[in-house]
Amino acid sequence: MKTIYKKLLFLILFLPFSALAQIALGGTVLDKISKQPLPGVNVNIKGTAISTSTDIEGKFKLLKIKKGDIILFSFVGYKKTTFVYDSQKQININLEEETNQLQEIVVQVGYGTSKKKDATGSVTLLTAKDFNKGAIISVDQLLTGKVAGVRITNDGGQPDSSPNIRIRGGASLSASNNPLIIIDGVPIGDLNPAGVSNPFTLINPNDVESFSVLKDASATAIYGVRASNGVIIITTKKGTTGAPQYNYSSNVSIGKVGKKLDVMKASDFIKFIEQYHSTKTNLLGIDDPSTSAVDDLSTPQIEGRLISDTDWQSQIFRTAISTDHNFSARANLNKKVPFRASVGYAKNQGLLKTSDYERVSYSLKITPKLLNDNLKIDVNAKGTYTNKNSIDEGGALYGAMSMDPTKPVYGPSYANKFSGYYQETILNGGRDFTNGATNPLAILEQRSRPERAIRFLGNVEFDYKLPFLKDLRAVVNLGLDASQSLIRESFANNSIQTYTFNQGTDPASNYLFNPGLNYLEHQTSTNKTMDAYMAYSKSLKGFVTKFDATGGYSYQDFRTDGFSEQFQNNLSTGIREPKIDPENPYNRYFLPLNLQAYFARTNFDLLGKYLFTATFRADASSLFQKDKRWGYFPAVGAAWKLKEETFLKNINSIQDLKLRIGWGKTGQANIAGTVGYFPSRPLFGIGNVNGQYLPGLNTYTALPFDPNITWEKTSTINLGLDFELFQGSILTGSFDVYKRKTTDLLAVVPSPPGQGTGGSEFIKNVGSIDGNGFELNLNVKAIRTDDFYLGLGGNIAYNYNSVTDLKGVSVVQDTGSGLNQTGVYLAFNPVGGQPYSAWVFQQIYDTKGQPIVGAYTDLNGDGKIDNGDRYYKALRPNWTFGFNSTFNYKNWDFTANFRGQIGGQVYNLKRLTNGNIQSGAPLNGTSLNNVLNFYDGSASPLFTNFNGNATFSDYLLEDASFLRCDNVSLGYKFAKFINKSTLRLSGSVNNLFIVTKYSGQDPENFNGIDRSFYPRPRTYTFGVNLDF
Amino acid sequence: MKNIKTNILGFGLVLLLVSSCSNDLNTEPKTQITLDQLLAKDPNAIEGLVSKMYGSFSLSGAGGPNTTDTPGDDAGESPFLRGIVNLQDFTADDMKNRWGDNGLDQLTTTSDWDANNKFFRYLYNRVYYTVPQCNNLISVMDNADVPNKDQYKSEIRFLRSLAYYYLIDCFGKGVLVTEADLGSSIPKEQSSRIELFNFVEKELIEIQDKLPQTNGYGRANKAVARMLLAKLYLNAEVYTGTARYADALIYAKKVIDEGGYSLAPNFQSLFSADNNQTVAKEEIIYALIADPLVSQSWGNTTYIIDGSLSSDTMTLIDYGATAGWGGHRATKAWYGLFGNSPAALDASSDDRAHLFWSNYLNPDATKRHNFEMTDYKVWKDGYPSTKFRNSNFVGTTIPTQFAGTDFPLFRLADVYLMYAECVLRGGGGTNALALEYVNDVRKRSHAGSISSGELTLDFILDERARELNFEGHRRTDLIRFGKFAGGSYLWPWKGGVKDGTAIPDSYNLFPIPLKAMQANPNLTQNPGY
Repeated sequence: MKTIYKKLLFLILFLPFSALAQIALGGTVLDKISKQPLPGVNVNIKGTAISTSTDIEGKFKLLKIKKGDIILFSFVGYKKTTFVYDSQKQININLEEETNQLQEIVVQVGYGTSKKKDATGSVTLLTAKDFNKGAIISVDQLLTGKVAGVRITNDGGQPDSSPNIRIRGGASLSASNNPLIIIDGVPIGDLNPAGVSNPFTLINPNDVESFSVLKDASATAIYGVRASNGVIIITTKKGTTGAPQYNYSSNVSIGKVGKKLDVMKASDFIKFIEQYHSTKTNLLGIDDPSTSAVDDLSTPQIEGRLISDTDWQSQIFRTAISTDHNFSARANLNKKVPFRASVGYAKNQGLLKTSDYERVSYSLKITPKLLNDNLKIDVNAKGTYTNKNSIDEGGALYGAMSMDPTKPVYGPSYANKFSGYYQETILNGGRDFTNGATNPLAILEQRSRPERAIRFLGNVEFDYKLPFLKDLRAVVNLGLDASQSLIRESFANNSIQTYTFNQGTDPASNYLFNPGLNYLEHQTSTNKTMDAYMAYSKSLKGFVTKFDATGGYSYQDFRTDGFSEQFQNNLSTGIREPKIDPENPYNRYFLPLNLQAYFARTNFDLLGKYLFTATFRADASSLFQKDKRWGYFPAVGAAWKLKEETFLKNINSIQDLKLRIGWGKTGQANIAGTVGYFPSRPLFGIGNVNGQYLPGLNTYTALPFDPNITWEKTSTINLGLDFELFQGSILTGSFDVYKRKTTDLLAVVPSPPGQGTGGSEFIKNVGSIDGNGFELNLNVKAIRTDDFYLGLGGNIAYNYNSVTDLKGVSVVQDTGSGLNQTGVYLAFNPVGGQPYSAWVFQQIYDTKGQPIVGAYTDLNGDGKIDNGDRYYKALRPNWTFGFNSTFNYKNWDFTANFRGQIGGQVYNLKRLTNGNIQSGAPLNGTSLNNVLNFYDGSASPLFTNFNGNATFSDYLLEDASFLRCDNVSLGYKFAKFINKSTLRLSGSVNNLFIVTKYSGQDPENFNGIDRSFYPRPRTYTFGVNLDF
Repeated sequence: MKNIKTNILGFGLVLLLVSSCSNDLNTEPKTQITLDQLLAKDPNAIEGLVSKMYGSFSLSGAGGPNTTDTPGDDAGESPFLRGIVNLQDFTADDMKNRWGDNGLDQLTTTSDWDANNKFFRYLYNRVYYTVPQCNNLISVMDNADVPNKDQYKSEIRFLRSLAYYYLIDCFGKGVLVTEADLGSSIPKEQSSRIELFNFVEKELIEIQDKLPQTNGYGRANKAVARMLLAKLYLNAEVYTGTARYADALIYAKKVIDEGGYSLAPNFQSLFSADNNQTVAKEEIIYALIADPLVSQSWGNTTYIIDGSLSSDTMTLIDYGATAGWGGHRATKAWYGLFGNSPAALDASSDDRAHLFWSNYLNPDATKRHNFEMTDYKVWKDGYPSTKFRNSNFVGTTIPTQFAGTDFPLFRLADVYLMYAECVLRGGGGTNALALEYVNDVRKRSHAGSISSGELTLDFILDERARELNFEGHRRTDLIRFGKFAGGSYLWPWKGGVKDGTAIPDSYNLFPIPLKAMQANPNLTQNPGY
């Protein structure tokens, strides 16, 4: 007893000295071949609990280290390496990739993780080294083009552009085709907060550790509903168990417009008007106040007019400068609680003037382990504040394309009412009406519409290993996704868009403006999630080598509540006043959705080489009536680790080989965007203040509903092969082939006339869609020497969907495909054809290849041209691909990423609206419109107009195949920048070039209809990244 | 042991949580309400529902002018009244439109009609929105305790009959659904024109007794139901092959004798913004209400008025408008009935001759309109009709974006002319009374009386044009007189040719919209399409 005390005393006395003797060791862990830093490498002093992990730049710091300590470096996919400490301050460690890299990679599979080698479903994992580089503000951009079969098409070049993600082409018609997005275990609602177009802006790209993309049903079925279009699981970075690490990164980028629309400049336009609209040359330019001359239409000169040469597109575009700053810290609080925190600030300019975007983001992750490491707690909190000036981009872009180039940007001061902006007016009855296109610059500069949103996403997960049964864990995950938005639209003084009239008669004074608040919206959304499940896992010896089972319950509740203030002009005074609807004074809207589910999964491995998975999930949604509410979604999967078989064991050229097969059923009910939140219940709507009829009564309307609607179901069968070939895993990849069938398709279909209370169409469970396709991912390590590394990666996917049945209906119109004229749609979903196909006539061309106006092939040979001669042509591509290369030489690194599509069509709507003779001087008006340049072939002067059948000529469809160089990036790293810090400088270009035959601006178009399009910028970025 | 207890407790808690959560699946709306809530909330709720059904003939949706009751159809283009103007007047000799919106050219030129034309679909969809909504409302009233139930039900049955009337007139067949068919989604068999006719006839005969003698403005009363019945009988020969002029005459006479209506002293007052306030309303039997603030629609009289104006050649505020869409102009087949030149129109004593905008005296030749419609796409070819206007007949006018002019779907002058036509077609009555009625209509507009010798069927057709054109009757009239299809009567741009050409008999009916045929395989296409 005494000796123990002595020893203790000795220990206590000695403690300060040993503390003094502690030395810190810093270092960097690199990939041996590529010399790329390796983040997340576990660094441990052998035989102690002292450990840390490397940061994004591969750096680590160890305290409490003593000479002779053995440091162990371990990282998934790499060989463990040890290092004996000998008082160095700084070391560099090179880890060598394990030849069999699939062995240890962990993928998220929903309510748990799996080793990639043991996964039976189609799961693709992407980590930091795979991400796209350059000016990236939302995390979807990290992923674009990287995963076979995942097509991400944003709406354009807006800073907050909404991504349209299709995994395997989408399985639904009217229900959403978006995949389910899960961030740190919290499924994100389908409805974006007001003021947020892109749900992915919720996370700072610098905080993302990995993506797991689940494609086939045996992988996604555990998520049941909302999973039929695949699942994207995003995991953010964790804290460290070692010394604090800091990172600061910053970049500045310059964005420029790539291809502008080829409309005429003033000289061409004058020539055009003289040639085709010779009676309207007096509308060119503006009146010259210094002369009373009036244009004499019989002479070639244009008398008495002041002609400008305005490039309206240059007026609305700008060189966009954006900056991005991020700081993160990783530490181990009280040496017990790994912790990571980050803050980011990004300020983005869009290419269009006043299209500004600003985001402050923060994140916090704490992952303590309590109760002898039996209780793991994972706390995540992240949030953003975004402030976007939402511009009227459609109006501005249309105006810039269409506004007469002979008009000035700023009007002559003597008659100008509009704060200097030029606007054509026409005097009629004592009122000076605006005429022609609205000045696009004024559209941008005279209105402000800040859309501000605060969003918080947080969750706490308790993962408790039951003390009496160590193999059993109880997990509870509580999540909250909440937001508040405020939209405030107001107009400047003398804005053209608030120009109106009083009841006077003198045009000089008979007008007024309504500056100030024009619209206000406030919204809160509260989305709550809870998952509770038990998981049992046991490794065994013998026939069954592993068994695990998971079962639990999931609760999701989404609530969006908002109101708006709307205004209208007083009928007699013209003054804007609040529009009060007595039945709903603040125009409230309330959008609730509740989803609940029970789920279970079991995995068992036989002989370590035959793997089986079975899942089952029961889901309920508040969208359906009680008896239609529950859907049941089973899935099974199996994998055969061929490499484990004796006949392959000794074949070195095959490093690994695994065959997977899976079948599963998933559900879809995301129809609220189309038919609201109560599509199955008989409800009455209250008519608004402008929709009344008999005096003194409120109107009420019986709303459409269908009590019989229920889940749409998608079953997929998937066959996959994962392989690693040749010594050193030179070639790795996976190949998947699948067949998919969606039944009870939720589609908006025409109702039998008179038999639906919802008017002519409503949502119904009708028919089915079949899909099939394949995906190939390949990675090649082409060259590997000590200083030099060249890696190539690529993916290609083919998908073909066809509508097989619509319950008696032969085709349904796709309401997402409206053309410029109201009620005219391009795309249809025909039975027997691909969804979203254009229904068009086949244009006939002359021997010189010029279209013969009005001549179409009589496809059915009945001697007349009518609907019977139209055919379907799919707008969306069947083939998508991406490839990339990584090249390193000493401290230099270079990456290039490309992606594209083969096939697909884009409808050149601009030819329809601005590519015919008549569009230059509309029949209807006394103003001129700019047109596509007929003199350089941007449009054909053969077309006087595109009325009638010409609208549906396949002449207007163009091949949308393209190859885009998404980004190239070059970096240099100073391994020893001031003291122990490292600094990496990089330069990159995003959207460097595009190769396409499309004659318009950009063939990458989700809807396949090229309407007012916010151009994607070409962005040059310079970045610094400092670790210390 | 303790651990096990805690665990059981924890598990129990989770279970409790789960069971309390399952109620959350019954989400409750806050801005829409159930029928029970509606009836509890508003004592006039049933009238509000009835009001919505009346509005179905004028408004696009309950949420204002940019919302639609018929999803998939454009809110601006698809309202009922707009459909009536497009389908009954543009296809006929009186009005032409120049926009060429996809499908509108085919109507204006009575050529190349096909089942895919959206304008046919719009009217068809509106009919088949109104009918099941009426059925639903009838069933609601059958199952609720509602005061004055019989009258409301009769009003709704009238509105359903009115919708069916246009189905009979325009498309000639369709499914016949009543409140008995609610809830059935198995596509029904198609009913013939005669079956639909018989149903509407039976309904109107039944409800004429149940409807009140007088009702609120814009609502159905006895006379309104009888007027529709008279119209049904007047066209019975076209609809069923059996002439019913005697029945038509009986009901027309009842409207005249028992309705309590009187001709407005001034023709123009009937089509002005204050026609619901001035003495004009004494003539209007049934109006489709419009209001610049509370009943806004792009497809009510706003469409007629703004569509007939253009700031190119006209002064918008003179007609109480703030926009001119430059679309519709009359043809000489209408204004030629008053004279053969703009000067002759000006000189005519007939007030109705002055409701065309020729502007022929304008010193600026580019502002003048042409008597001849050489090109229907050129605004200045043809005279815009200024019959409908958004200015007040009495007092000052404030120009508004949406029109406030009510549309007189049925009015007394029409009944007078119907009576005279029935007499001439052998439906009974007296020639003397017929002549008196016709002359009453003419004298009101200072057109001068005619003699009994001049009172012929051809005269009636022309007089109907002078009096009723642009009021949604013309195509029906021309068909009844055998002058629509074929080549016996030509008008500008009939058949797509400037001076007109023969069109096939199949054009007496519109094609059944493709979308409807796709939704109900029992439907068959009309011959010739």
